[in-house]
Amino acid sequence: MQNDSRSQKIVDIIQAYARRHSLWILAYGTGCGAIEIPSTMTSRYDAERLGVRGAATPRQADVLLITGYLTVKTLKRVIRVYEQMQSPKYVIGFGSCAINGGMYWDSYNTIKMLDQYIPVDVYISGCMPRPEAVLSGFGKLQDLIKAGVADGPKRYEENFDWYRANQKKIIKNWNFADYNW
Amino acid sequence: MDKGKRFDTIRARIKENFVLSQDKIYADKNRLDISVSKQRTPAILFFCKEQLGFIHLMHVGIVDWIEDGTLELVFMLWSPTEKLRVYIRTRLNRENPVMENMDMIWPQLNTYEREFKEMYGIDFKGLIAAEEFLLEDWDGPPPMLRDFDTEAYAQEVFHTRPGREDAQDVREAIIKRSQEEIPDFAKKYSRQ
Amino acid sequence: MEILQYIFGGIITFLLAFVVGMTFGGTRRKIIARIQNRYGPPIYQNFIDAFKLFSKTSAVHHGAMHYMGPAFLMVSSVVSLMFIPILRDGGWFPNLNFHGDLIFLLYMMVFGSLGMALGAGQTGNPNSAIGVTRGLAQMVGYEIPWIMALVAMMIQFHTTSITGLMDVQLQSGTWNLFASPFAFVAAILASLGMFRYAPFNIVGAPAELASGPASENGGKYLFTMMSSHSVFAFVKLTLFADLFLGGAGNLVELLIKTFLLYMIPVLYGVVNPRYRTEQAVRWFWGWPTVFGIIAIAYAVWST
Repeated sequence: MQNDSRSQKIVDIIQAYARRHSLWILAYGTGCGAIEIPSTMTSRYDAERLGVRGAATPRQADVLLITGYLTVKTLKRVIRVYEQMQSPKYVIGFGSCAINGGMYWDSYNTIKMLDQYIPVDVYISGCMPRPEAVLSGFGKLQDLIKAGVADGPKRYEENFDWYRANQKKIIKNWNFADYNW
Repeated sequence: MDKGKRFDTIRARIKENFVLSQDKIYADKNRLDISVSKQRTPAILFFCKEQLGFIHLMHVGIVDWIEDGTLELVFMLWSPTEKLRVYIRTRLNRENPVMENMDMIWPQLNTYEREFKEMYGIDFKGLIAAEEFLLEDWDGPPPMLRDFDTEAYAQEVFHTRPGREDAQDVREAIIKRSQEEIPDFAKKYSRQ
Repeated sequence: MEILQYIFGGIITFLLAFVVGMTFGGTRRKIIARIQNRYGPPIYQNFIDAFKLFSKTSAVHHGAMHYMGPAFLMVSSVVSLMFIPILRDGGWFPNLNFHGDLIFLLYMMVFGSLGMALGAGQTGNPNSAIGVTRGLAQMVGYEIPWIMALVAMMIQFHTTSITGLMDVQLQSGTWNLFASPFAFVAAILASLGMFRYAPFNIVGAPAELASGPASENGGKYLFTMMSSHSVFAFVKLTLFADLFLGGAGNLVELLIKTFLLYMIPVLYGVVNPRYRTEQAVRWFWGWPTVFGIIAIAYAVWST
């Protein structure tokens, strides 16, 4: 089955369909953007009709939604959460703070480029992005999955040393616990 | 009851209990400001809490007077029965800020002291606290002091995303489109 | 030949239970969405979710018991399924029933939850441990009216076999719903807890417990849990239809009866918030238990 290219192609098509129509999000809501998630999920905009649904833990989630700014302290937790997620996994940076620091551009503890530390698939701009923009971001992610370019885990694996060096540059006390035992 | 009269009695009671030769007392409509020396602060706080009824610590503020070389701590007290405020100010040496631990007066002072220790580098003698409270993995100078250049630090440590070549000032673009003049007060923010 | 027929029939039964359970789950999501004034996901959304979960990697290692927890759940669902008569006259569906299979089923239906509790315990996640203790407390709550209802039926009709109870309904011409109404009410009220929908979703409460026992399970583990929950929902609904609604003569009748029974916990759930654990236990030990006692008294009086 694995070696048969034609049947593998069919499996890939079905897998890509299932993946883009069933996005379980883990909203990392430390920033102010978390307030846009309830309005995206509830009756007015209803993201569940696209298959977008909240997941409770990193193990179950597909999409890590970083809503807002990340400090050095919260970046540590985000890396931990990202590495606990099961691939295929996607990251959406949400709001201008995740893109370039936003209004915290000169802060001593706010990171400014999220994609230096974990691979980001889609950025949603705005401060804050309205639910329409959030839904448009999910649509963009679905397109990327369909085109097969949303390969965050692969990029993370290939450039792991570069990502780790960037992470360790700002997280000086690197004492991560083991995820599995 | 008249607030001014009550302030007068409070001022009198503090004056008859403490030697306030170099300390100033200032009262306006709503609050009483007392500037005291560092050594006398715990005693005055105790006196206000136990004798004068200012049992609630609203907030502790801090001001970095870099020009005077001092750090000013402001203890804001509140009397729930009389609805009056008393501010007690004290100044520490900025080069070597040392103070006694005072969290036995109000337990919530412990939280403020931990924050001041991390953010302003004030050494509270006898403070029992964890190594890291708000700042994790920090080995630089206390970041809230005014002589810490946070922008330079951020440029040095964090990656900065380069801006766009065709970036425009929003206000100027709108003005250009609508053929209007930039008002005088806004000209100093203009990029050109 | 007979063994081949059993195996083939078992596979067909499992597939039927899987498809029906998943579709009912999707219908439930759609109904909840419509009641909340949303458009809602398509009815086949659960199949998409299941396939996606199956195609994810599962690089979670917490020891042997953690692997076996979802497997226990699946085994319990499948074994329970094999002991339930799907249709009245059998047909393709195998039926491993014997005298006293109702009592066996009582134990088998608890087995999966206990196995999952062991598996969740080894993950070391505190949310899992809290979820397991909540689940066991809730089980203590709803098992009492449920067993009372079944004991009342056993006393009333002098049989401990599911097919025996179905035969009784066929011979007398009335459903047990009318022959022993109090047992039906007690069993239905207990089923609200068995399905673990709101207000009794205290085990996997996503907002408090991060989905409880499932919190360390992603990918294929979650797929196994999800599909076994779907199969188990079908098992419970078919059991209720067999015991109280006279079973089903064909598949369409079965689907209609199970769907109507399924709507009771679903519609009760969508308009209710979540109970706390002690509230749930107190709820089950209130009116459901009273109905159970009345059912036993009625059964003793009517025989």
